[in-house]
Amino acid sequence: MTPLQMLTRRQMFRSGTFTLAPLALASLCQQEVLSAPEPTSPLPPQSPHFPARAKSVIYLFMIGGPSQLDLFDPKPELLRRDGEVLPDSLLKQAKFAQIQEKQPKIMGSPWRFARHGECGAAVSELLPHTASIVDQVSFVKTVKTDDTNHMFAELLINTGWRQFGRPSLGSWVVYGLGGEAANLPAFLVLRSGMRPRSKRANYGNGFLPSKFQGTPLRFAGAPILNLSSPPGFTRRRQRDSIAAINALNRHKLESSGDDEVAARIASYEMAFRMQTAAPELLNLSGETAATLRAYGIQDTSQPSFARNCLLARRMVERGVRFVHLFHGDWDHHTNIAGGLPSQCQQTDQASAALVKDLATRGLLDDTLVVWGGELGRTAVAQKSNKKNVAVGRDHHIDAYTMWFAGGGTHAGRSIGSTDDLGYFPVGEPWHVYDLQATVLHLLGLDHERLTYRFQGRDFRLTDVHGNVRRELFA
Amino acid sequence: MKQFLLRWLQLAGAGRILLRLVVWATVAVSAVQAAADEVVDYEKQIRPLLAARCIGCHGPGKQRSGLRLDGPAALRKGGDSGAVIVPGDSSQSLLLQRVTAVDVGKRMPPRGVSLSVVDRQLLRDWVDQGAMMPVVETETERHWAFRAPRQNPLPVVNDLDWGRNPVDQFILARLESEKMRPASDASVGVRTRRVYLDLLGLLPSWETVKQQHASRDPDRFERMVDHVLASPRYGERWGRHWLDLARYADSTGYESDRPRAIWMYRDWVIDALNQDLRFDHFVRQQVAGDLYPDATPSQRIATGFFCNGMYDPGVRWEHIIDRVNTVGTVFLGLTLGCAQCHDHKTDPLSQHEFYQFYAFLNAAKMTTVRREQGNLTVHSEPDSAASGTSPDRTIMTTEVLQHAPQPTHLFVRGDPAQPGALVSPGFPAFLGNHSPAIPDQKPTRLDLANWLVAEKNPLTARVTANRVWQRLFGSGLVQTENDFGLQTPPPSHPALLDHLALQLQRPHWRGLKSLLRALVTSATYRQASAVRRQFAVRDPGNRLISRQRRLRLEAEVIRDVWLQAGGRLSSKMGGQSVFPEQVEGVLENRATPATWISSQGEDRYRRGLYTWVWRLTPHPMLPLFDAPDGVAACTNRDRSNVPVQALSLLNDPALVECAQSLARFVARSDQGTDSERLDSLMRICLARDAHPVERDVLLRLLERQRSELKTDLSLSAQINGQSDGELQTQGAVWIADAAAWTVVARVVMNLDEFITRE
Repeated sequence: MTPLQMLTRRQMFRSGTFTLAPLALASLCQQEVLSAPEPTSPLPPQSPHFPARAKSVIYLFMIGGPSQLDLFDPKPELLRRDGEVLPDSLLKQAKFAQIQEKQPKIMGSPWRFARHGECGAAVSELLPHTASIVDQVSFVKTVKTDDTNHMFAELLINTGWRQFGRPSLGSWVVYGLGGEAANLPAFLVLRSGMRPRSKRANYGNGFLPSKFQGTPLRFAGAPILNLSSPPGFTRRRQRDSIAAINALNRHKLESSGDDEVAARIASYEMAFRMQTAAPELLNLSGETAATLRAYGIQDTSQPSFARNCLLARRMVERGVRFVHLFHGDWDHHTNIAGGLPSQCQQTDQASAALVKDLATRGLLDDTLVVWGGELGRTAVAQKSNKKNVAVGRDHHIDAYTMWFAGGGTHAGRSIGSTDDLGYFPVGEPWHVYDLQATVLHLLGLDHERLTYRFQGRDFRLTDVHGNVRRELFA
Repeated sequence: MKQFLLRWLQLAGAGRILLRLVVWATVAVSAVQAAADEVVDYEKQIRPLLAARCIGCHGPGKQRSGLRLDGPAALRKGGDSGAVIVPGDSSQSLLLQRVTAVDVGKRMPPRGVSLSVVDRQLLRDWVDQGAMMPVVETETERHWAFRAPRQNPLPVVNDLDWGRNPVDQFILARLESEKMRPASDASVGVRTRRVYLDLLGLLPSWETVKQQHASRDPDRFERMVDHVLASPRYGERWGRHWLDLARYADSTGYESDRPRAIWMYRDWVIDALNQDLRFDHFVRQQVAGDLYPDATPSQRIATGFFCNGMYDPGVRWEHIIDRVNTVGTVFLGLTLGCAQCHDHKTDPLSQHEFYQFYAFLNAAKMTTVRREQGNLTVHSEPDSAASGTSPDRTIMTTEVLQHAPQPTHLFVRGDPAQPGALVSPGFPAFLGNHSPAIPDQKPTRLDLANWLVAEKNPLTARVTANRVWQRLFGSGLVQTENDFGLQTPPPSHPALLDHLALQLQRPHWRGLKSLLRALVTSATYRQASAVRRQFAVRDPGNRLISRQRRLRLEAEVIRDVWLQAGGRLSSKMGGQSVFPEQVEGVLENRATPATWISSQGEDRYRRGLYTWVWRLTPHPMLPLFDAPDGVAACTNRDRSNVPVQALSLLNDPALVECAQSLARFVARSDQGTDSERLDSLMRICLARDAHPVERDVLLRLLERQRSELKTDLSLSAQINGQSDGELQTQGAVWIADAAAWTVVARVVMNLDEFITRE
């Protein structure tokens, strides 16, 4: 496929089947309802602060904290000292969530690592498919967060603040950039398995206007219900109805000044557009058997992480700005020997297939794929006395691994390293604020300029923190 | 000393540094003054001594003889025998008398080595020197929420005309101090609709609104509020709020998600609220109704409160933890759950104290009982309560608690596979010993219940009053309605919160109705909700309540008002949960299959709170509009606003049916002109007439639809949802007319205003 063809393909999806009607609904009260125009896109694209490297983001959020020491950051030293007591020097600085033992013992990874690709990145045997994309991926080995509690760590990485009430990363992005899909929400949320522990706050709008919140799709059954108009409601009748609804809502907006009404107006505009665009998005019958096989999808009617990955590709293909995909649980305090392989089995193939698929379709250049959780796991074992239940690892917040692909990031690079026990970063860590600043930067947004005035001050995602880490850039 | 201070500062969080400095200064000054006499330093010498030898029995974990020795306030307070320290006179101080007692039976500590001569002398010197201790209270002692509510004088206000009751004085005084003015009253229609939606979750009839408009009675609004509070719909509306807290659902959750019979508990809640049961009785019956002497069936059914929640006999301990967390969230407004694995990191609650709660709630098993002629008989073995397989096996049975003592061990690191020390039921030390007359034996759940509603308990009344406020104003005076712990910022109106708490609690507890009546008839509540630009920047969250707030209705209420406007809503109360129609596919992808056989007749149109809830796969409208998932107590529902909600309101067949029936009513009504019919539609849905701009838009829409549809009878019939048989009995003109009105009715029912309490 030539670049020109790729461009056309993307444009074809993005422009959709409608022509954008420039007429604002505000004037509809006095307008002839007889010729209600197509509703406009509620979140039109905005210009970035500077030329963007990436246009959209697929954020594969791994709830619970995957074990970096068993997946990406091999530490032979842990194996050599397996069972030894953690040295005092480290113990003093350790921030465990659950371990209360006075002398926790080092645990080597039971899984083998091998080097892969031209870049020679080490990946665990649990992730054979991820191992096949290492040359398209950058691993950041020293992500650092501040809270050992899942809920607050989730909030920190996804909203930049350890309490409820702040806008999510996705909301900031669509606030800054709008959507490119005229017919789909700019910010969509998918889930397979558990809900994130801080629930909607992970994709909520916080104090940003309500229309910037993420729209969650259903996990089981049909991802979106009620996409067909009722019997007798032709497309034009539906359009006229929504025009009338929003004309009156706009009247209400003027008299109430309530931002929720603005969001309701946007919701109805988008709902109308989704009625044709969403069935097309969700219809996987056009995907080839080879594609489904690559993702590991056996039955497209069954919900799964793999199906969500495929849907995520279809979403960015159609101009969705931010796809936040949640999967868990990776919280392996006990029985890591059983739990971790199972999580890997559910996610490895599809995560890798997504990157490859995006690359094949020419979408990877401007789609940033992020993979990782809210925290990592300890080098020492968390013991369990439960019969037949093996040990696991506690939470670790000083250094853990995430990976990035596409969207103007360097391919095949390993950034940062940890000490011999995988405990602390060697050199400057990547605080999650850095991650946020860097993701925004790739999208052409300056994290210090992307602000919103609330309660008399300008707020930003990274608060007063965050450094753009250019070593990630291509 | 310098080193000591430095270490202290390092330990202290930034916010606490100042406090620590004050403490240190106090100690340091006294140290300088009496340096020659080798002044004993409490912090350096006495506190560690007491900590090492005494607080095992007189500290956060245990308070033998009601005595704690782990802090200045506790030391000053003494125990059951009164003060233990007489500053300046060690010979009169019980503390010294006991550690130096000759009689071994009286000497403290009772076991192990007695205090050394040096330590005794240290204590003696310290007391004789005046028992100097830091004067500043600990953070725990100072925290507003841990002190009993106080009756504050009503604040003085300049504007003597606006307020209608004491609530307003607190609000107005604060607004005046900020140079702000309250908003004017909302219109009669908005006010009436607000009261109906808030208290009943239903729309007012136009008759009611008209009466409010027309009546010359100065108390007409108050009379209406009384009338509304007397409606049995009140118990349904406020019962659903309580069920959010009670984690109510009709299945057990987890992967297996089996059906369970617990609807009698739901009906108990509705009934108790309708009877305006005193709140202390309301709490006591739910926590320990089975332990009442000669407990009635109703009191036993109330304990379904603790049977709710996810349940799997294989992990019963998780269910008990859930009970503890629920007590914390619902009554105390505390995140007790943080202490499951370790001492609470921000609140003064030890892990041991968490398991003291656990011990209370562990001493009970669940039993399924059958209700027969007013009596309850045991229906199945204890703790196999949730063993049903299909919803229809749940007829006339319910789950209740039954006293069943069993030992409780602390779980090391919160891990049930690592049982630690035995723990007895008891109350957290920082809340003091508020329970009246704890028996000598182990306290029971009944003692827990009494403690929760004891007059001295500083939390339950405040937490409850705050939550009532939150339901009526959108957010609480304490915004973190589920956390009143040390991290919680002070309330926006502390004196008002105390006032409301005391109103609920003194001179004796009352039901919620009197509090609701006071709030709903206040000028504060009656305010218009429009955003006022001049204040929006200064107070964007409207914490000072210079206006009311528009609040989107809850999932169940949205469906209820659709049904009500469509004339379909059933007024049948209580009984087994029902299965209104839902789209296909909702029950797909379950690990264990479930059934959903749509109810017939009236049961299709019952209020939303009677809809059967499969925890794993609830009716789609519930999660779509942020109904809680029943995993844990939900104190505050989200109000999301996303396009998939619009799709549901526009296209869900069950809702379209409501628009169709409303349209038929309007089209059939004897109102003459279209404009008059439109008024009737607007009055049913919005309790007001159409604004000229709205009228223009809607009548044009109607006209256009009518002209399009009159030529297409079958399309009209589709829009009306009419069968062929029905068609033959109707004239063509009427069919097209009804279809056009269906379009218009659906528009009005999709307005933001329709699903919003203004």
